[in-house]
Amino acid sequence: MTLNGHPRLKMTGIQKRFGPVHALKSVDLEVAPGEVHGLLGGNGAGKTTLMNVLYGLYDADGGTIDIDGSTVTIKSPRDALAVGVGMVHQTFLQVDNYSVLENVVLGANPGGSALSLNLDEARSQVLDLSKRFGLTVEPDAIVEELPVGVRQRVEILKALYRGSKILILDEPTTNLTPQEVDDLFQSIQAMVAEGMSVILITHKIQETMAVCDRMTIMRLGENVAVLNKVDTNPEELAAIMVGETANEDASAVVLGEDNFVSLAQDGIAVSAKNLVIRNDHGVDLFQGFNLDIRAGEVLGIAGVAGNGQVELAEAMAGVRPLQSGSIQVEGREMTSLPTVEWLRGGVAYVPEDRYRDAILPTATITENLLLGSQRSASVKKNGLIDWRAAQKRAEDAVSAFSVQASGISALVGALSGGNIQRVILARAFAHKPRLLILHNPTRGLDIRSTQFVYEQVSEVAKTGCAVLLISEDLDEVIAQSDRVLALYSGALTGEWSHSEAEPYEIGRSMTGLVKES
Amino acid sequence: MSNTGQLTQAESATSSQSRILKSIVSKAIPYLVAVVAAFAVGAIIIVLLGHDPVRAMQSVLTTSFKSQFGFVETMHKWVPIVLCALAFTVPLSTGKFNIGAEGQLLIGATAGVAVGIMGSDLPMVILLPAVLVAGVLGGIVWAGIAAFLLVRFQVNEILSTVLLNFVSFQVIDYVASHVWPDVGAGHPATISVGEGALLPRLGPSPAMHSGVLLVVIAAIAIAVSMRSTSAGFEMRATGANQRASLVHGIKTSRLAGAGLVIGGGIAGLAGAIEVAGVHGKMLEGMQSNFLILGIIVGLLARGNNFAVPFVAFGIAVLEVGASAMQRTAHVPIELVLIIEALILLFVLFSDVPKGRFKLGKK
Repeated sequence: MTLNGHPRLKMTGIQKRFGPVHALKSVDLEVAPGEVHGLLGGNGAGKTTLMNVLYGLYDADGGTIDIDGSTVTIKSPRDALAVGVGMVHQTFLQVDNYSVLENVVLGANPGGSALSLNLDEARSQVLDLSKRFGLTVEPDAIVEELPVGVRQRVEILKALYRGSKILILDEPTTNLTPQEVDDLFQSIQAMVAEGMSVILITHKIQETMAVCDRMTIMRLGENVAVLNKVDTNPEELAAIMVGETANEDASAVVLGEDNFVSLAQDGIAVSAKNLVIRNDHGVDLFQGFNLDIRAGEVLGIAGVAGNGQVELAEAMAGVRPLQSGSIQVEGREMTSLPTVEWLRGGVAYVPEDRYRDAILPTATITENLLLGSQRSASVKKNGLIDWRAAQKRAEDAVSAFSVQASGISALVGALSGGNIQRVILARAFAHKPRLLILHNPTRGLDIRSTQFVYEQVSEVAKTGCAVLLISEDLDEVIAQSDRVLALYSGALTGEWSHSEAEPYEIGRSMTGLVKES
Repeated sequence: MSNTGQLTQAESATSSQSRILKSIVSKAIPYLVAVVAAFAVGAIIIVLLGHDPVRAMQSVLTTSFKSQFGFVETMHKWVPIVLCALAFTVPLSTGKFNIGAEGQLLIGATAGVAVGIMGSDLPMVILLPAVLVAGVLGGIVWAGIAAFLLVRFQVNEILSTVLLNFVSFQVIDYVASHVWPDVGAGHPATISVGEGALLPRLGPSPAMHSGVLLVVIAAIAIAVSMRSTSAGFEMRATGANQRASLVHGIKTSRLAGAGLVIGGGIAGLAGAIEVAGVHGKMLEGMQSNFLILGIIVGLLARGNNFAVPFVAFGIAVLEVGASAMQRTAHVPIELVLIIEALILLFVLFSDVPKGRFKLGKK
């Protein structure tokens, strides 16, 4: 079912660089009319970047885009909509206090002059679309009062109203209930039945198998495989996403041979019981979650991004309040204490999002290293912060962690990603942690720095510090952890000791298949 | 990656001194250019108005230094400008904009004048400190309203502080016309405060009031506190990245409120000093254009509290020169405000090519 023998969409050799980062290295993608095409891959694989190129949010550095056989130039979302490409982002771009109908027509020029707005025709069109594709909405409802699932329908209707024939959905099921997911998939089926093409960005294999006809799997800015659903199975997909690349991964070079030494002691150092953790969308992602970490133990959490890693890390660091449950660190009840008390209690947190959660971009390295310990007596002299001593410590940290900067007065926002991470790690390790939470600690680091981080982790583990290592790099988790837990959608789907950890098995559990014990 | 990094480290060790010098020079250039350009544009306007630009500029720049009177006048202008600038930069360090220094100044003046009138029989050792403290508290209360609305209900502080300015005009109008009116003044003003409420003068007449000294101490104390106390560091961290500060245990929302309250206290002190040092009473219009001058100084100093007193001195010189210019060259006073605004605009413009250049390098 191709138009004049052409595919609906053909992206060829798409390249995109962000400064030194090669986000897309010559990526191809082909989607047929009437097809649901899955775009799979871990975080940082380049899925969203590729789709942002298609939707005109990024300007590609190379490559061509053909739609229905003719080459198109897409410089902006307006261009994209003009050639029939619509996109639904993870965060909705809606005007909260407008009605559903007003949001749908906003910017689409529903006719009339700038001074008049006649929505009658638009209303009947929206109702028609809504009925055809099973996207039930109340046109006059105010969107901020609607649940996430319905707001997503509004977003899809926006794209359909503008005449999209290719609809991109960026991880659409993240915050939906199972019933809403079923409804969404039915709507998708109705769309492709009318000849539209749908591209589904996802990292959930089960979903992909449920709805996609074909899938392109990406890893590190390249497409590694294109598969038909009928020719594959969840195990194979998991293997491609996780396993086949094990030898190419930079960290795998470091981790080539297993020289793991367990430093775990007998006593339980950190104990989390019956945690109920709410995500930013008001959904209780974790419902009765339990976790114990022994002193000196490195506990690895393997999982695909978006399954609750950020929420878990923040809850364990005392940054995100618990809905219920309790967390004890070395016997001390931390649950309802303010974040500053957690820091004082020896909880150090290295967040995933460095720029958002971890640094003061317009402050110097010295000041960034001080963040979190500014009230401790050890940094003060006569009641004021002793900047000279702080600078001395910063000099030491910069040389110990080989931070490459023009000096300790360099602004951290101007450093490269890897050097920013070194500053953050230097701060965390200087804290003399008793619980160290690391979230994707080596992402973007070169091999030498990665090795350095692992050595530092061993150093603190020797002091009896409990380490929670949350990472999407499965090789890293397996190589560094005494114990590996697989996390899927806020629940644990398997547990392995260091010696029995096996990537394929863990990879399967990461996609939601519960380990058989 | 590691090799090039080591190279840059080695380089930086050898040339760090010349680099520091270079960075100071390269930072100063945009300011010099902005000042010269602003005066050039000002001169063109003066010519177009049909006046003598040389004589006008001479008056503007030299009046402060030609006589003791001029210098005292300049320092008296300098006091409220510094305080209003700090009332702007302290909240700015947490990322909040206090546009209410004038209201906070007026309420501070009201509180100061109230204490100064009601306690007019008290000796100076009691009354003068009480007047100044009352001024600070008045400013704190006024900014505290905006801070409470911000912390509790997330009401935008720009709106609330600006609107409270208008409320303060009504308050002083009421106090000056109904509570302690000076009926003979021909202008809404209160009666004079007691002798003991006046700041002592320093040296022979025409002498500076001792509030100048107080402000020198206050400005240093504020700048040092913002730099080197835990709370000051936390406030600056909040302004630099609120989310990261929160993750590191800083109570960012409360600090943002605290920044506004401190700013209010500083502006309130300015009000009390105006009463105790300059007017001896409260009168309508005493806020002059200190709000806008404070913001200009704060922005020119780029929020750097140590730079504020120096920038403020430059602006005070221009302000005092303005009236002399009107006398000698018949150029309207407002021209100086135009020049001040142009300096700020040109300094801000200098960021644009800099930003372009950086992007281009990437």
